[in-house]
Amino acid sequence: MGVSYIPVARVGELSPGVMKEVDLGGRQVLLAFVEGHYFAFSRQCPHEEADLKEAGQFLGGGQIRCNNHSYCFDLKSGECSLPKGGAPLTVLPIEERGEEVCIRLEW
Amino acid sequence: MAYDLVIRGGRVVDGSGLPSYVADVGVKDGKVVEVGKLKDGAAKSIDASGLAVSPGFIDHHTHLDAQMLWDPYGTCEPQHGVTSVVMGNCGLSLAPVRQGIEDAIVKSFVRVEAIPRIALEQGVKWNWHSYGEYLDNFEGKVGINVGGLVGHIAVRHHAMGEEAVERKATGTEVQKMKGLVLDAMEGGALGMSTNRNDRHMREDGKPVSSRLADDDEFFALCDVLGERNAGVIETILGRNKVEHFEWYHALAKRTQRPILWQSLQHRWAEPNLWREQLEAVEPIFKAGYQAYGLTHTVPLVRHFTLKDCQIFDEFPTWKNLMFLPVEVRKQAFADADTRRKLQAEIDNLRLTNFHKRWDIPKVEKCFKSENQKYVGKTIAEMAAMRNQAPIDAFLDLALDENLETIFWNANNGGDWNAMGEILRSPYVLIGTSDAGAHVLFGADFGYGTILLGLWVRERQVMSLEQAIHKLTFHPASIFGLQGRGLLRPGYAADITIFDPKTVNAEEPVWANDFPANSKRMVQQAIGMHYTIVNGTVINDRGRMTGDLPGHVMRGPLYCQHKAAA
Repeated sequence: MGVSYIPVARVGELSPGVMKEVDLGGRQVLLAFVEGHYFAFSRQCPHEEADLKEAGQFLGGGQIRCNNHSYCFDLKSGECSLPKGGAPLTVLPIEERGEEVCIRLEW
Repeated sequence: MAYDLVIRGGRVVDGSGLPSYVADVGVKDGKVVEVGKLKDGAAKSIDASGLAVSPGFIDHHTHLDAQMLWDPYGTCEPQHGVTSVVMGNCGLSLAPVRQGIEDAIVKSFVRVEAIPRIALEQGVKWNWHSYGEYLDNFEGKVGINVGGLVGHIAVRHHAMGEEAVERKATGTEVQKMKGLVLDAMEGGALGMSTNRNDRHMREDGKPVSSRLADDDEFFALCDVLGERNAGVIETILGRNKVEHFEWYHALAKRTQRPILWQSLQHRWAEPNLWREQLEAVEPIFKAGYQAYGLTHTVPLVRHFTLKDCQIFDEFPTWKNLMFLPVEVRKQAFADADTRRKLQAEIDNLRLTNFHKRWDIPKVEKCFKSENQKYVGKTIAEMAAMRNQAPIDAFLDLALDENLETIFWNANNGGDWNAMGEILRSPYVLIGTSDAGAHVLFGADFGYGTILLGLWVRERQVMSLEQAIHKLTFHPASIFGLQGRGLLRPGYAADITIFDPKTVNAEEPVWANDFPANSKRMVQQAIGMHYTIVNGTVINDRGRMTGDLPGHVMRGPLYCQHKAAA
């Protein structure tokens, strides 16, 4: 068991609302700086697999909407907020470590 | 000539469910005229020896409302033996319409049924207002028979405009909607459909309009069918709850029309739900009413490797491992403590989509010769061969092959016994192809060929005769499709000729055959030799002939209305 911090950006590198593509272990993740916080989440919408790099739109309150079918997700928990009970978005925990923004993977 | 067409020497599976028999089938003027040992005298004959000859399949759950306007075959329906389709399900139809509400309907189709907007914008010309005028578009222009349900969403927008997605209807608006439903039924609709699924939204995030209807409104619209003793009522309420069955019962009792509800499927994560649903619906039938659950024949299969799979994302440690660099992930997979943690997460009683069972996922493809003996085995079987715990066998095999091993999994529809009971149930209507919808995400045109190949031939959950009945006369009876669904003299010569030894469906593949060359998924069939519609061959061993013999299947109120007029 262990923990791994994977640096994915430098602090201040991302403009608000911009999504950065990151390859993590062969899977596509998007990193974004929204309302003063960093978020990392799967690039693929869990509803019908739309590319959130294209179809994702940030809403207020730490939410992202997939414009393909208007499904909304909480960026922190991944919970599907609209419609309630939809499949959750895969989100990953972020930590700022010095000048680096890291994804924290614990196992 | 006595016949236009004779099909010789096939095994006739006539759609009734009765035992099949070898016979010739004579066709004249679009109808079956004789079945038995026929003399010569046909303009055309087909040798069907060794093949099954059945009524054409009836795909009653499609969203081909738009596609049939630009694709007269509803490709790939006839490739799978389908000769008749019913459109307008789940509350969605392209009529009735008036100026200004077209886009409200498009917004609903685009999101609920995932049909590309560009295809709808280029392929739908809106040269109709009433449902009957919409059906007129297909007269003489289709290769298969088409009928449809009038959708609550279009009816509500027609009566209320954009306020249909904002509020309850007034009494005056309900009366207006009742008039629209009656007009649609008299124009030929086969029934009505509604949609209360709280996950179904329009393109702009607003709920589809039928979700705003209360019971008073919907029951009042259904009274139009009940009072005239015509049509089916098709519903989608979202996730199944016990109170839904009370609702179906009340609706069936009030209207005495067949109710169709979605849906009944086997899911490993809720392995007894299907049985609870069947137990809940039985009292409705026992009381003398009809409320058929729709079910599907296609297991939801996923193929995965431990290089990039997502199926374990709902378990936190599994998820984190799957995002680690591959070399770190491999070290973690090899660690005994980590394995215990992974197994503990699977053992947790929390409800998940993943079934948490090692006797379901299979080894599909191995890359090392010494591992070939595991191909086709479940993880549990493979573990027993290796004398290991399943999680150890699973991870050790994957690690041995650098995580390249391909595994197979099905969260839904994988329990043979459950599927057998569901498919055989008299309270179930087989078929949720959704043809014409979700075109970028899948293609289930082959629900019938999969029923015959997978569930009849391979798993033997029912006889060929029972399966053909379920695909033909059963839906024809429920939807009131007069003169279709049986291979008997006097019935329409909608005929499917296939090889029961090989019939099946291919995996879906991409095509660019939608308007504006937009792409979608299509699915070809195996073992399907001929598809005949109203006596004319349209599918000759995989080649579409170009003929357009399809009819518009209009409901009984159309005939009464026309006679009265």
